[in-house]
Amino acid sequence: MNEGNETLALLRETVARTVPFDGDRIRRVRGQTPDFDRSVWRRMAEQGWFSILIPEEDGGLGLGLEAAATVAEQLGMSCAPEPFVMAGVLVPALLARMTDRQMRNEQLPPLLAGDRIVSFAWQSPNGSLNPVDTEIRATKLSDGISLSGRCRFVTPADPDAFILLARSPEGLLLASVPRELVAAHRVLESGPDGVFTAQLTLSGLRLPRSAILMEGEDVGLVVGDALNCAVIAQSAELCGLMQRAFSMTLDYLRTRHQFGVPIGSFQALQHRCVDLFIQQELARHATAAAIRAAGQGVTGRKLALAASSAKARAAYAATLITTQAIQLHGAIGFTDEYDLGLYVNRTARLAASLGNAAWHRRRYADLSEGA
Amino acid sequence: MSFQYGVQQERDWNALSNDEFRQIIRHEFEAHYPSHLRYPPRRLRWHENKDWYLRMAAKGWIAPNWPVEYGGMGLSPAKLLIFYEECERWGIARFQDHGILMLGPLLIKWGTEEQRRRYLPKILSCEEIWCQGYSEPDAGSDLASLKTTAVLEGDEFVITGQKIWTTLAQDATHMFLLARTDPHVKKQQGISFLLLDLNQKGVTIRPIRDIAGHEEFCEVFLDGARTHVSNLVGGLNNGWTVAKSLLGFERIHIGSPKMPEYGLTILENVARACGAWDDPVFRDKYAFLKLDVAHLADAYNHYAGIVIRGEPLGSDVSYLKIWATETFQRIADLIVETAGPFAAIRGPVKIGNSEIDILATFYKARPPTIYGGTNEIQRNIIAQQVLNLPRR
Repeated sequence: MNEGNETLALLRETVARTVPFDGDRIRRVRGQTPDFDRSVWRRMAEQGWFSILIPEEDGGLGLGLEAAATVAEQLGMSCAPEPFVMAGVLVPALLARMTDRQMRNEQLPPLLAGDRIVSFAWQSPNGSLNPVDTEIRATKLSDGISLSGRCRFVTPADPDAFILLARSPEGLLLASVPRELVAAHRVLESGPDGVFTAQLTLSGLRLPRSAILMEGEDVGLVVGDALNCAVIAQSAELCGLMQRAFSMTLDYLRTRHQFGVPIGSFQALQHRCVDLFIQQELARHATAAAIRAAGQGVTGRKLALAASSAKARAAYAATLITTQAIQLHGAIGFTDEYDLGLYVNRTARLAASLGNAAWHRRRYADLSEGA
Repeated sequence: MSFQYGVQQERDWNALSNDEFRQIIRHEFEAHYPSHLRYPPRRLRWHENKDWYLRMAAKGWIAPNWPVEYGGMGLSPAKLLIFYEECERWGIARFQDHGILMLGPLLIKWGTEEQRRRYLPKILSCEEIWCQGYSEPDAGSDLASLKTTAVLEGDEFVITGQKIWTTLAQDATHMFLLARTDPHVKKQQGISFLLLDLNQKGVTIRPIRDIAGHEEFCEVFLDGARTHVSNLVGGLNNGWTVAKSLLGFERIHIGSPKMPEYGLTILENVARACGAWDDPVFRDKYAFLKLDVAHLADAYNHYAGIVIRGEPLGSDVSYLKIWATETFQRIADLIVETAGPFAAIRGPVKIGNSEIDILATFYKARPPTIYGGTNEIQRNIIAQQVLNLPRR
């Protein structure tokens, strides 16, 4: 256990050093294509962070979700725009669960090396988080498949390839699609943090048989588990964001003087800060509990419960803390020039994607009934 | 140590596995605890639950938190946690246990050998029941401003003043109290910790009726009450330090998730009985509270782990008390809302096939945000000691 803690502390330090907070960099890349820094992405790959969830026999580090969440939390502290959770956790988690070994051997190496960025396109335009609600339809042809339908909220929006979740008459399937084939059918939508999501509209996109990565009844489970791992890592990223936003706020309250005293000496503000501190701590412990559950190898419904517990708290707490941070700063907190806003905007994105607090509360309640 | 404080322990509890230990405790509780005393809606009086605690005393189980050499069960933190969990799980009602929870550990840490031999055996046998005399009418949150004085006359302290909110003083034979022994120094530095026999003519105990209709706390008037100088604990004018020196589980017990977990069970029963269980608006509120309790448990387990590993707790642990007690209040308030007109009836209410005391939880949830340091005081402490915000 001590050895594990040391590894994580070292990892945390490495992340802080490799991707430090850099407000100028964040402001420079937002709204651009790509909306993050490819050179930073390569440095992240060199550190092996995309290999964390890949077992050693597949060329990965086999470190588990705790290490991935540690990276995500630290990236949250740095407010990094890089899509680590979506392309560095979700997609590797998905590929690691592919039953076909050869498929894994083909797909993984360029991804882990950071040479190829893959987005998972799965969510229906109405926002449902249930994989079976995908609106992409697959039709089997003699020499392959044809895909039609729409999917939305795809992040990163401008990858090298997509993995599409589609429904065929036989069930769900996953297909690999190079970016050129969908480039013309893609609409970008900008997020609060200047990071885009893509909306894909396919009509009769033909792919060879070899594009099918996986099909059969396991696809729903594999996608569900991978999404839940991503939700837990995303909760950790939210923890990092809220911790930094809160510590910036405390610094401000200690140094900002009005009426001749530091405003942090006012009891009304002190008590509000304690309420924010409680939410921060609950989010930290709820996320740690979810990580522990995942580390014990739970899957399916139990993993979903753990993920929803963490995200329901982390999204609620991060939203409360960042919005209260604006109020506690006063007008300066609402300016783009002041760094707090970067944390507010990143939190707004993450709190709303992969299920917001209300959605996860509902799922938690539904899944825990009769447990 | 040849002196025998209490009955011999039948075995070395810490040598058992956690599961074995839990099974033994659970079996005893389930087999012998009177079922009509489970989860009572108010604090029970000594005449109501003394049979159970005399049984515990005879078994040597009355003081799970004390070392074996002083007649306790000598449980490791992990085993102690299990013991408390099983008490709470089975809804075992507390008695006036300040002697066990507070005074015993304080005497073991601060008392003289003579004080320990005089007092610990009778706490263990329940012959002497102790109450805590800290709060006064003008010294609540600002406890250090207490006015009760203890003046040395010959070899006795003469104590004059008034204590209030003294839990179950009407069941107690003795009181440990804080009194001012030096009025000329900074207020925390002139306080001493004293032991007092309540059976004397300078002591008047008057129960206070609370809004739930119960008499769980009292006023205690001290009018020249006397105690021998040998009943000073921890040295003259050192009482503030003695009283503040609670350690380990005593500091996190008040933040345990068991009370709100129990509240959720009642809330579910009320919602089912009143037909609200499938109402989506109710379900959303219920899910919110369920997660509030689940995350309290996640945080509590973290701190329990610190205690179990024998590491020191920081001031940050106080937020457990805030969150546990305020969550319990939100649950109690939703019970009342969900019960609709039934919440206008006091005592057990027949709703369909169920019988539920709706208001019991409503009343039970009020004192915890006040006692043990109000939640506002806890917030001051966290703001200044954990968040390093400046003092006024």
